[in-house]
Formats: sequence, structure tokens, C-alpha cells
Amino acid sequence: MAITTASSTQFLVGMSEIHVAKGPAIFTCLGLGSCIGLAALDVTTDVAGMIHIMLPEAFPDKPVDKLGKFADTGIKEWLRLLERAGAQTSRMKIAYAGGAQVFKFGANADSRLDVGARNATAVAEHLKRLGLRALAIDVGGSSGRTVTLDTVTGLMRVRTVAAGEKELVNLRK
Amino acid sequence: MANSLITLQEIVEQTTDLPSIPAAAVRVIQETDSALSTAAHIAEVLAQDQSLTIRILRLANSAYFGLSRRVDDLTEAVVVLGMRNVRNLAMVACSYPWMVRPLKGYALGPRQLWSHSFSIAVGAQLVAKQARIPNDDVAFTAGLLADVGKSALSVWLEDKLAALIVYATREGMTFDEAERKVLGYDHAQVGEYLAAQWNFPTSITQVIRWHHQPSSLETPDPIVDCVHVGDYLTMIMGYGLGGDGLQYGFDTTTLERLQLTTDHLDQITDEFVTAHDRYELMFEELQVA
Repeated sequence: MAITTASSTQFLVGMSEIHVAKGPAIFTCLGLGSCIGLAALDVTTDVAGMIHIMLPEAFPDKPVDKLGKFADTGIKEWLRLLERAGAQTSRMKIAYAGGAQVFKFGANADSRLDVGARNATAVAEHLKRLGLRALAIDVGGSSGRTVTLDTVTGLMRVRTVAAGEKELVNLRK
Repeated sequence: MANSLITLQEIVEQTTDLPSIPAAAVRVIQETDSALSTAAHIAEVLAQDQSLTIRILRLANSAYFGLSRRVDDLTEAVVVLGMRNVRNLAMVACSYPWMVRPLKGYALGPRQLWSHSFSIAVGAQLVAKQARIPNDDVAFTAGLLADVGKSALSVWLEDKLAALIVYATREGMTFDEAERKVLGYDHAQVGEYLAAQWNFPTSITQVIRWHHQPSSLETPDPIVDCVHVGDYLTMIMGYGLGGDGLQYGFDTTTLERLQLTTDHLDQITDEFVTAHDRYELMFEELQVA
């Protein structure tokens, strides 16, 4: 969903969605649990984008309905859309947050249950495979997060109920 | 740290703005387990509450069900949608007005308790279907009401939430454990008390009471297990998260009892979100209801 105001276009990046914009924009992933909000900004061309990743990998036996749902299909698509809008990977500043998990699992629980950690690992691996590096990462824990990127200031902020709002990184620096 | 001076009765009695359930809806829920309950009887009971009837019909005619023609009375709705669907619609219609209120004590904004509760209901019903548990509609109703205790306990947490989160994290406790330590009761116990006051059947009150501790029941209840997994799905997908966030336990023996594997769970998570998105079509009707 996008709302254009006098100063910036605001994007509410829903689950499995990818939004990319050129010019002043504010991207928000609202209430992330185990999902990841991944953002990039190319300051030279003023192109930025955010993806709301839900699961680490697509199912081998099921067609992918939304590319942005999975880290493996989503990150490639996010990058393709960013490049199409004028961003260059060599100039992109990247950060991501989310990947929380329930506080306690039973004894001997299957590590595959930790969807938050699996999402965070998958995002890190796919970025690395594409030769990209994140400037700042805020993952794990058991708090819901709201992640915002304001492309005018370059500030990526993370808000939790316990810690309030904090600046994760400035992607313009 | 527990404040043993407060009793469950006092918590509930001293809370203003408590949720309420219309008598007609209570009667329908009481008959959930009855083999004698018929479609015609359910329609007759609900029809005694005109305002509830209007809201149920509005939901029945929402884009979610995609009916080819409008249904104008409850008997027709029961015939077209089925008794179990109509019973769930009744619960949705009568829970929505108080579930959209913000709960400061849990840092839940307007509609967030609703979003969280409705997601648990959708998740619990989906899990029940996957695990082939009969009466998956009971999983929906019980899931919808699982966190009803939060609406009564909220006011008691208003000045304690931040400290409680810090305390729980420091002591390695889940949020419900911390509630029990600090207040003497957790929201599941308060919810069970409220539902019992409404004369809800044990099949529902038991789920509310044990949805965070499903293995503490002497005889495991598959509906409790389904709601526990539905709650887990709701938390990891971030629907209506408050200050308590994901500070809860996930009892993996529920998966064993339901004969579901971790691979199932990724698929269920995907289907859960798809089902949730479809329900958005019903939310549109609720907002004007």
C-alpha cells in the first residue's frame, strides 16, 4: 500500500510484499515477528526498496504465489526491481531487522522450528551469495519490531514496545 | 513478587469496561457440544437478538463467502453456510466490538487484540483441519476467545508492562509465568474465570485456561493443542503483537500429539497467511458493522 503526501511517498510493506521507489519515500514493515524487513538505498540515484520476507525458502513441490514471501525467491526479485529503478548494487547500502522467535521451546525441539533464526540465516546467505553486505542487522529476541526507512534522512529505525524507537543505521552515511 | 492479596474475583470485579457476550451467543456456544442442537434451533436462538442477527447476516453476505445471492434471514444463512459457520460468525460478530478497543496494559493499539485473536482462531482451525480433528469450528471459537483474559488484566498491567518485560527476560521466564509471579494470575486464568462467569462450556473454558500450558492438562485436549499451535503461528507471523510479543513458550509435544511434523508447519504457516488474507474480505464488513 502506498500513500503519497506532499513530501514523501509512504509504503506500508505488507507480508510478502516488495516496494521500490525513486525519490523521497518512507517504507514501513509493521509488527514483524519472525519475518524480516530488508531495505536498501542507493543515494546516487535516490532509489530505495524494502521487502517483507516471511519464510526462508520456497517449497520444492508448490508453485510460488508471491516471490517476496521467501528469502530465496524474494531477495533476487527485490534486487531486480531496485536495479530496474536505477539502483546499482555496488552503491547500495543495506540493513535488515526482524527474525524474532518465541521465547522457549520444549526440550529437544527441532531447530527448524526457529523460523526467525532460519529467516535471518537465509537472508545473510543470499546477500552474501549476491556479493552484498548489510551495514546493520537487528535480529533475534522475542519482541515484535516495526521497521522504518526514511530515504530523505537515510535513517532506518526499529521500534519495539520494550526498547522504544532506536536508530539502527543511517543508510545515507 | 506475587501479589497474593488480589483474588481472581477482585481482578474481574474491579475492572470496568469488561467484555460482554450477548445471551443469545452464549446459548449457541453452550449448545456447541450438544448432539440435539439443530440448524433450525441455532437460527431460532440467534434470531432473538436483532442487533446480532443483523451483524451475522452482514458477515454472511461479505465478499469472503462469495455467495451468488443475498441471504436475508438466519435460517437461510444456516442452510447456505452451515450451522458451524453461522455459530462462528455469531462469535465474531459479538467479540469484535470489544476486541477492537486498545489495551494499554499490553501495549495493544486499537484493533490489535482483535487482529491477534482472530488470527489465533484462523490458525487453530487450520491446524485442526490438517490434523483431522473433528469439530474444527470449536478450535476457531476457542482460539478467538483464548486471550479474552487480557481485556480484564490489562488495567492491572498499565504501570507494570515495561518492568514486567525486563523482569521476564532477566529471569528467563515466559510472559505468562511473569504475570503469575507478579500479579498472582496470568491472563489465561483470568480468561477462564470470565468465560465461566458467562456460563461457557468446559470445552471452551479449558482451552482458554491451558492454551499456554497444553501439557499441564491431565488428559491432553486436541483443541487446546490446536489453539496452542495457532497462537504460535500468530506470534511468528506478527499478527497483533503487543508488549508481550513472542515472550511465550512453544510446547512441541503438541505437534507430536497432533501428528504434525516441522515440515508440515512451514506449509501450515504459508496456508495460514493465505487464509488470513482471505478473511480480510470479512474484516471490511466488520468495520462498517
